[in-house]
Amino acid sequence: MRKPLEIVIVGGGTAGWMAAAGLVGILGSDSVRVRLVESDEIGTVGVGEATLPQMRKFNDALGIVEADMMRRTNASFKLGIEFVDWGYQGSSYMHPFGAHGRPIGGVAFQHQWIRAGQNGHTFPIEDFSFAITAARLDRFDFPDEDPASVRATFDYAYHLDASLYARFLRSFAETRGVFRSEGKVVDVALDPERGDVVSVRLESGEILSGDFFIDCSGFRSLLLGQALEVPFDDWSKWLPCDSAFAVPTPRAGPFTPYTRSTARDAGWQWRIPLQHRTGNGYVFSSGFTDNERAAETLLANLEAPPLADPRLLRFKAGRRTRSWDRNCLAIGLSSGFLEPLESTSIYLIQVAIMNFIRLLPEAEVDPALAGEFNRLMNVEYDRIRDFLILHYHLNRRDDAELWRYCRAMEVPDSLERKMALFRHRGFIEQYKDGLFSPPSWLSVFLGQGLAPLHYHPMADAMPLPALLGEMEMLRSNVRTEAMALPSHALAIEDYCAASVAAGAAA
Amino acid sequence: MSKRVERVVVVGRDAAAWLAALALRRAFGPVGVEVEVVELPSLLHAVDVYAALPSLAGLHRLVGLDEREMLRACAGVPVGGQRFTGWSGGDGAFVHGYDVQRLAIEDLDFLQYWIKARGEGLRVPFEDFSPAASAAKQGRIGRGDGDPSSLGALQHGYHLDARAYAALARRKALSAGVRARTEFAAAEFDANSIAAIRLDDGSRIEADLFVDASGAEAVLIGGLAGSDFESWGRWLPGDRILAASAPALKPLPAFAQISAVPAGWIGLHPLRDRTALVAAFSSEQATDAEMLESAARMTGLRFGGDAIAAPFAPGIRRSPWIGNCVALGEAAVALEPLDSVQLHLVHAGISNLVALFPATAGEMPESVAYANAIASHARNVRDFQVAHYRLNRRTGEALWDRAREPEGPVSLAARLDLFGARGRVVLYDDETFEEQSWAAILIGHGLMPRSHDLKVDKVPPREQMERFQNLLRLIAGEVRAMPTADQWLEPA
Ligand SMILES: Cc1cc2nc3c(=O)[nH]c(=O)nc-3n(C[C@H](O)[C@H](O)[C@H](O)COP(=O)(O)OP(=O)(O)OC[C@H]3O[C@@H](n4cnc5c(N)ncnc54)[C@H](O)[C@@H]3O)c2cc1C
Repeated sequence: MRKPLEIVIVGGGTAGWMAAAGLVGILGSDSVRVRLVESDEIGTVGVGEATLPQMRKFNDALGIVEADMMRRTNASFKLGIEFVDWGYQGSSYMHPFGAHGRPIGGVAFQHQWIRAGQNGHTFPIEDFSFAITAARLDRFDFPDEDPASVRATFDYAYHLDASLYARFLRSFAETRGVFRSEGKVVDVALDPERGDVVSVRLESGEILSGDFFIDCSGFRSLLLGQALEVPFDDWSKWLPCDSAFAVPTPRAGPFTPYTRSTARDAGWQWRIPLQHRTGNGYVFSSGFTDNERAAETLLANLEAPPLADPRLLRFKAGRRTRSWDRNCLAIGLSSGFLEPLESTSIYLIQVAIMNFIRLLPEAEVDPALAGEFNRLMNVEYDRIRDFLILHYHLNRRDDAELWRYCRAMEVPDSLERKMALFRHRGFIEQYKDGLFSPPSWLSVFLGQGLAPLHYHPMADAMPLPALLGEMEMLRSNVRTEAMALPSHALAIEDYCAASVAAGAAA
Repeated sequence: MSKRVERVVVVGRDAAAWLAALALRRAFGPVGVEVEVVELPSLLHAVDVYAALPSLAGLHRLVGLDEREMLRACAGVPVGGQRFTGWSGGDGAFVHGYDVQRLAIEDLDFLQYWIKARGEGLRVPFEDFSPAASAAKQGRIGRGDGDPSSLGALQHGYHLDARAYAALARRKALSAGVRARTEFAAAEFDANSIAAIRLDDGSRIEADLFVDASGAEAVLIGGLAGSDFESWGRWLPGDRILAASAPALKPLPAFAQISAVPAGWIGLHPLRDRTALVAAFSSEQATDAEMLESAARMTGLRFGGDAIAAPFAPGIRRSPWIGNCVALGEAAVALEPLDSVQLHLVHAGISNLVALFPATAGEMPESVAYANAIASHARNVRDFQVAHYRLNRRTGEALWDRAREPEGPVSLAARLDLFGARGRVVLYDDETFEEQSWAAILIGHGLMPRSHDLKVDKVPPREQMERFQNLLRLIAGEVRAMPTADQWLEPA
């Protein structure tokens, strides 16, 4: 058997603890020795509350019991994201974790939906999505096992307190042999000839050395960015938001099983309902407003009085050109940042961990492993980037400079092509790796107001009355089944209500 | 509203033209689309064969071709894989079997366990753990029914008499309502589109959409600006294709045999009533007659006097859809008849055209998506073919020595590097060959991964041995229960 790989993780935010827990949880402590260093003085970003359904796979791989995890992180269920005032002021649409309708007459649902509309039968597309219908009713239940049921056409994720989740994973990791040090890294030593990372030195003088280093130091990117000088690819010309104010409020208003994103003058505001409180924040572009006005905007748009002062965070959209260089890998904010509009950061952390485990190097790193890792991560980043830009670019708001700028900006060719084909004929490309399958693209294209001119010609083979009959049936089936679900509040109460203590600890 | 596409004219020949016409008519006939074929003289000869991957069944479902009927009409046989000989220079041989899925133990590729065991002295070849390769070597064909997750659930490709297959597709197309003309004279171009097709008698045929299925001649798309052809000749050295026929083999083998020879490779494809030879080679290295001679010497078979050879140039058309003209088959992508991909590329063209069938006559922005899909399909298949050449171990032969030089394509280099490092397969969008196929040929050609997945170490060596033995027993049992190719064709 090989000597276990000695891994040093720098940083104990969500990324650091997910990496530590993932490594020992999946590989076991005889194959890897993991040490993690974090600094109490520096602290974590501490926001990041909305997730994607893929997170369930990560927890499952670690053998984490869902209800237990939810109880300990004050979690609630998430069926999608509502976008308010994005396409134009007064609009609202949802991006659900689930399909709209099902293929009819050999073509994807949207073609028949466009066709019905062109024949004078306009239905809101949302009526055919079980996830959206349930979400709008503030109801929740788990997907049905029977694949033929309309109740099997969706997926779900969580809203959770990310600091509590990190704490939860910390105890998971520590009981499985991860060794934690507290202290500030003040120096990174590189091998003078090969350029690999040899060790990191803490303020106390302690030196941590290892075969492999995982940089989870957040925006600082202490190892990959600073020590190894891997360049940053700046995407802020497409994604100009660079700041956020975050503030919690007591839970108020409906207990929605979805995130809400409301467009504002210089960005957008999030609302994330947890069990014990609501997370709020305003993501904005400092080029289009200033801190003072941004804070005012946020405070003026809360459902309840804030529990703390708004906290300012600064960032830049983009990614490191490689997240794995030599014997060092960056996971989390140290590898790049895409704004939380589609809750993709924790997902990116998870994908990085899983890919790393699959490509785990030996003490002598084979560059082919890093090459494949970087290819996979770049595909993920690029696809999310295009999807985010789409939200900004396709807007019809005339009230503020940011929105005019985004509408006029040039977008990547890959996105231009997708929009052109959807506009012309409702076509949505499918790809193998990376986030966002056709239902996601469909909801955002339509929600942002891109109406297709034509549809797949094969749709017409089915007589119109038969189609309308089928659509009506589908719609009423969705409605009836959604009405039969328990409320989100009740589902949480039954399944994973947090103890008062967990609430107080937050 | 803009005008719909109501008329499609396919200009072309052989399987590509008729399958395209048939598929389009079946898909769009119900919404009133008329399809007409202007047939060019066939390039097929009595000796030609179509070797097809299992995926062809998908195309047959799309166009409504029944498997048994098709096999009867085309002297066709089912095949479970391809056997490669001579590529290593020595007498090493291996089988690329058509496994339905990659073999995995607890979600981890079986290959990872094998890499470790091999390092510890295991001598059982990787292909012995492939149900498809084992069946093929014993001349057996899986039934294709039953539990798809069982080891014995196999898929099969086909060898088909090319002329008979094209004729079958033609008959099916005509009975589906496709109309046919001959006597193509020329295409009339207008503003980088096709205005009409002129026939010998002076009549003109207009259409909203023109499909170029004319093969390398590219009679339509070749006349449009921007249709230049990117050569892949520096990676695929064959510039001549030879076809010939020998008597049928008894009992019927369940695989094609692809043998490397100094000037290229020679493929033997069993059919019901004959054995079809296809060879791709470099005319710098051998003449047609020398190739045929070396085939006879190598196989001990007697080839008839009707052998035929034609020039060949691999590559891709940069824009396979320009204006109202779509190219498919060899008019769009030309690859060697290696790995049985000929009809597969036709299939890829057809299914993309059906998915992207223009929503309106006139403006056709679908062309960009079509071009991307075709290019990514073609590049992936090309990488697979080039991998055979790149990994050869024949030394002292100009063609083979040159083929080993590690220059491009970049996508292939990444695949070889990663597989060599860890036995993992890089997969891009639109792959024809999945992990199990890549692993079969890369290991077969001797690219041994240097390390394995750490998760394998969690299984104690003894338990690992037992698992291997069980697996071999299971596969042997499944294979024994399968019919031979002859029995499969004539069920008792
Ligand atoms: C406004 C905003 C909203 C977000 N919303 C979401 C969301 O809804 N969903 C989602 O998935 N993601 C969201 N994210 C992203 C999410 O917060 C991060 O991906 C996640 O917190 C991971 O952060 P991290 O662990 O990489 O970095 P951090 O949380 O910054 O952790 C850095 C760690 O490194 C340590 N460290 C740094 N320097 C040193 C040093 N010199 N020595 C020792 N230790 C050091 C720190 O102590 C800390 O432990 C959001 C981000 C922002 C900015």
